[in-house]
Amino acid sequence: MVLPAATTRPRRPLAIPALVLFGIAWLVLMLLVAFSADLISPFPYTALDLRNRLAAPIGFGGPWLHPLGTDELGRDVLSRLIVSIRLSLLIAFGATLIGAFVGTSLGFLAAHFRGWVEHLVLALVDFSASLPFLILALSVLAFFGNSLTLFIVLLGFHAWERYARIARGLAISAGAQGYAAAVRQLGASPWRIYGRHVLPNIASTLIVSMTLAFPEIILLESGLSFLGLGVQPPATSLGNMVGYGREYLTRAPWILLAPAFIIVLTTFSVSLIGDWLRDRLDPTLR
Amino acid sequence: MLRFLGFRLLRAIVTIVLVVTFAFVVLRLSGDPALLIMSVDAPPEAIAAFRAAWGLDDPLWVQYIRYFNAIFHGDLGRSMRDGRDAIVLVTERIPATLALTLPALAIKIGIGVPAGVYAALHRNSLADRMVMVMAVAGFTIPSFVLGLILVLVFAVQLGWLPSGGQESWRHAILPVITLGVGGAAVLARFTRSAMLEVLGQPFIRSASAKGVPWAAVVRNHALPNAAIPTVTIIGFMVGSLIAGAVVVESVFSWPGVGRLLVVAVANRDLAVVQCILLLVAMTMVIANLIVDLLYGALDPRLRATRTAGAH
Repeated sequence: MVLPAATTRPRRPLAIPALVLFGIAWLVLMLLVAFSADLISPFPYTALDLRNRLAAPIGFGGPWLHPLGTDELGRDVLSRLIVSIRLSLLIAFGATLIGAFVGTSLGFLAAHFRGWVEHLVLALVDFSASLPFLILALSVLAFFGNSLTLFIVLLGFHAWERYARIARGLAISAGAQGYAAAVRQLGASPWRIYGRHVLPNIASTLIVSMTLAFPEIILLESGLSFLGLGVQPPATSLGNMVGYGREYLTRAPWILLAPAFIIVLTTFSVSLIGDWLRDRLDPTLR
Repeated sequence: MLRFLGFRLLRAIVTIVLVVTFAFVVLRLSGDPALLIMSVDAPPEAIAAFRAAWGLDDPLWVQYIRYFNAIFHGDLGRSMRDGRDAIVLVTERIPATLALTLPALAIKIGIGVPAGVYAALHRNSLADRMVMVMAVAGFTIPSFVLGLILVLVFAVQLGWLPSGGQESWRHAILPVITLGVGGAAVLARFTRSAMLEVLGQPFIRSASAKGVPWAAVVRNHALPNAAIPTVTIIGFMVGSLIAGAVVVESVFSWPGVGRLLVVAVANRDLAVVQCILLLVAMTMVIANLIVDLLYGALDPRLRATRTAGAH
């Protein structure tokens, strides 16, 4: 019989597991690609090469000109992939930050004012939790039409209720601790109490939530774009490419496999980093 | 317990009202449905007649009250496309969706929970690592990618199974697997961490220290306690039985509620979208209520503390 480690787990040394290292490396690579997209993409992502339509990637009989092959209009898959990575990452980062900001702010408001403000926030949290976000997003998107800004803001509302719950709970318990009461006694404004004192103390938990929400947003974005209701052509995102490549599944699977591979590896990497960060940073797990 | 129940019921009703309001506001403020249905060149009289017929002329609050009133009388409006009752259109799709989501739910629970428990009991073993890698992979592979890869392998390359449609039970195999695998991964991950947390508690140590066999400790002390957080996730899965297959239904051209929603959204068929939104919210709220009741049964402590509204 082996007993699992009890609560007095020794603190682990700062060795980063190999898989997490891989995740970090992959994420850095993706960020580099996103930032230098214009420099490194071999062709403009909308450029047609009608002589090389549906060309296979190198190694499958394709020409050297298009390393990952082309689609049915002869557009270079590699170039489209690079531009898609940039847009998908931009959306995911933007939406994650919006969600964290909105959720944390509402959580603080609930914790600060209590009373009916808190009830309202909690009712909104219940509302959010009562609908699968995809359903909610679908209706808003199709009925408000679609623009990139709206799309990012909409995805930003994914998981806001999680931040709100965390921020409210932690801020309430912080209010009961000495340090928040002390600065309040010293005459600090609520802005200062929450911004300078409470926020830094709960930041690690919030960052963990962000790393867990980030891959979900990538999956949502690509799912909606796959359904044709997310990023609209001529702009291209990873999910968009998969949805588009689906029609050529039998004749040219590389159109679909390349972006699918990137989606999976990126969400996988961020999830690994998030899990690892949670184990290290989340005080409730110690 | 009664107060707890009443409090939860009140919250459920508030949530439903919020969902209805949200649906109404979003759908009505987003544009003029008359112009979309009728096309821009339709004669003005025709557009005016359409607007009058659907009550689109009245102020929004009149439409809102009328909508609430209609819902309380069980009337969810008619599809603007073919004039049939939205509720009929939606409910006749539910069996097709359940034919996918119910077997998928069985896979999720049947594989996810045992895998998570096993991994937690054999922490850091090879099996644990395998389960965790599979779980993270299952979570990070989007359902449309998994579905399309399954189609590529089993329908296109091997030719064993059909790639889409709903003619026989064989058509359901690939979509059910696609739905089940992702959920099983999420559940395995969740069950494992719930189990690990319970196994680290002092009462587990005292139970095994006083000589209770390990199997009995797990069965009588660890599993019931780990069940509480796991039930939450399963409740969410039960709640999304009706609309949890939007993407997968699209991948496999399965004529369920999800397909209907995507088409209705693309057509701006307000009544149908509202109907689905409401239905999904209702199932979710009911599932959450059941979960709350189960909490009470699983954890007597919660009956006392939950009444205060603590979250």
